[in-house]
Amino acid sequence: MSVDTDLSSYADTQEGAAKRDPELLRRLAPFLLRGGAILAFIAVFVFFAVSAPFFFTAGNIGNVLAQSAIPGVLVIGLTIVMIAGGSNVVTGGMDLSLAANMGLSAAVYATLSQAGHGDAAAIAGALATGLAVGAVNAAAVVLAGIIPLLATLAVMNVVAGFELVLTQNTVIPAASDFLSILSALGPFGIPALAYVLVGFTAIVALIVQNTPFGLRLYAVGEFPEAARAAGLSVRPFVAGSFVASGFCGGVAGILSASYLSGSTTGAGEMLLPVVVTALLGTVFSRRLVPTVTGTLLSALFVGFLINGFQLLNISSTLVSGVQGLLILLVVSATTLLNRREMQ
Amino acid sequence: MTRATVSHAGASPSASILAGLARYALVLALVGVFAIFSALAPSFLTAGNLQSILVNNFALLGIVSIAMTFSVSAGGIDLSVGTAVDFASFTFVSLVLAGQPIPLAGLAGLAGGGLVGVFNALLISGVGISPFLATLGTLFVGRSVQQLLTNGGNPVYLPPAGVPEAFRFLGHGTVAGIPAPLAAAAVVIVLAALVLARARFGRVVLSIGIHPGVVRYSGIRVRLHLAAVYVLVALIASVAGLILTSTVTVYIPFSGNAFLLNAIGATFIGTTLDRHGRPNIAGTVLGVLLLGIVANGLLLTGLNFYWQQVGTGILIFAVLAISFANRKAAAGA
Repeated sequence: MSVDTDLSSYADTQEGAAKRDPELLRRLAPFLLRGGAILAFIAVFVFFAVSAPFFFTAGNIGNVLAQSAIPGVLVIGLTIVMIAGGSNVVTGGMDLSLAANMGLSAAVYATLSQAGHGDAAAIAGALATGLAVGAVNAAAVVLAGIIPLLATLAVMNVVAGFELVLTQNTVIPAASDFLSILSALGPFGIPALAYVLVGFTAIVALIVQNTPFGLRLYAVGEFPEAARAAGLSVRPFVAGSFVASGFCGGVAGILSASYLSGSTTGAGEMLLPVVVTALLGTVFSRRLVPTVTGTLLSALFVGFLINGFQLLNISSTLVSGVQGLLILLVVSATTLLNRREMQ
Repeated sequence: MTRATVSHAGASPSASILAGLARYALVLALVGVFAIFSALAPSFLTAGNLQSILVNNFALLGIVSIAMTFSVSAGGIDLSVGTAVDFASFTFVSLVLAGQPIPLAGLAGLAGGGLVGVFNALLISGVGISPFLATLGTLFVGRSVQQLLTNGGNPVYLPPAGVPEAFRFLGHGTVAGIPAPLAAAAVVIVLAALVLARARFGRVVLSIGIHPGVVRYSGIRVRLHLAAVYVLVALIASVAGLILTSTVTVYIPFSGNAFLLNAIGATFIGTTLDRHGRPNIAGTVLGVLLLGIVANGLLLTGLNFYWQQVGTGILIFAVLAISFANRKAAAGA
């Protein structure tokens, strides 16, 4: 480390005059980046509002919120894992089983519903499924010590397999009063799912961003050694984050059963977009860390992009490209800024 | 093993036996599934079926997993190996359709897939983005590019009548009696093992994976080597792309992604073979074999197709859990 410092001070004297500007830039950078992300959000929003008819209507915005509900809940689950596990995606917090978990939970809901069980049993079944998957992840990471990326990858395969066994790879329709309420319009002609997303985010954000518990969650993820030294036991927090993430998978499963009127195949397709959205979410936070509100903004940003493209009749095939470019852009900017900060 | 043995010296003998079992969990799992399937499925232990495992289950995933092993050895990961497979496949098919000679089209295919690696190298070495994020971005951008090139994701077929014999060689031909895909996989595996074990480049790559800072202070250009690694990964994956295309005589957009999770799985299962938990070629090869044998065996036992995925998943999970738990115990003791 001392070598590093020596080298950089040498570099500093070499650069001399150019030093003051980067210094200023370094202080401003996080604000610029965060401001930039929010500016980009606003710019995209205004662009679509001006160019796409019907974009800026309560109905459409409600629809985007409703469509973002399922990925949004999943991304929030991933965000919790990322907070408690630390920002290194390979060795830190990552949950690849979320999308498969959602698929299985939806399948459990639809199957129970088909078998004539009531909403209460179906909801309990779906949530229990999600929690069970989360518990397996937690055990694999905390007890067996498998790195999260790998543990959740293996669990993802098992869970996706169970979904196939349960559904025989077919669509299982489900209809019930509860699902109808969820998929119907709520107050003010805005879909009920939109309210679910906002409510769910608000509750989780309150817990994660505004309680001592949430603060400890961050401490455990960012500075596990310091957290341990301060008397926090790291493992229960990490385990808890996976269980919470599993719960989010279960909730998303119920939402998806209502949105699609049953369970369909192909939940796994959602995995990578969810990961990207969670990573994008960090630029919507003040310190460039994963936050629940940042994640919501990121999910809505992606939702509005897809929706705007559809309204403008731009091929939706561009969406994944735009997502890819966004993440590269955002990550490049953060990396370059961080590197400057290191020096 | 020394470390684990020493640390378990004070423990009960059963604990050290357990540690020994965990160390060879992968080999034991391989022997175990082989024995089980030989007993359960009469057609499993036949020359024809074993060859089918090697050609259909092992060769392509093996090549892609070797590519993955390089990136993980260098301390990173490449989520865009499937994209390189797809780009190689697309370039290859397009040039053959345009009437270019097969060898030229093949080389162009390698270059097409290699482009993915160059893009990754720019992001990782040029900009300094972490490999996971850089290659995740590449995966998405590559998906979009393929959709644009294929009018939204339509496969590009070669007309059945017009497929030149030379085109089918990589997928269906033989080299000295060995099926071409298997021969290609063997060459890739041997070369990769040689490079990692004997060449200076390989040693640098392994050192970067263990301690990039030390390598940098030793005066070795880490970024340059990392760039080379990601281009190499894409080139190796492109070989799989050419073979895949030659086997099925069609380019199907995003089909390369099917390899991604299995390649990651095989590579990390392979790390259980190494005493320090490092990725290694032998481990990766055994990992791919395990996945291949399980996939093939479950098919032969007539088990419901969907239970196969559950079975495979649980097996992989068990291998990982045993060896990681052991490594943790060894480190903690």
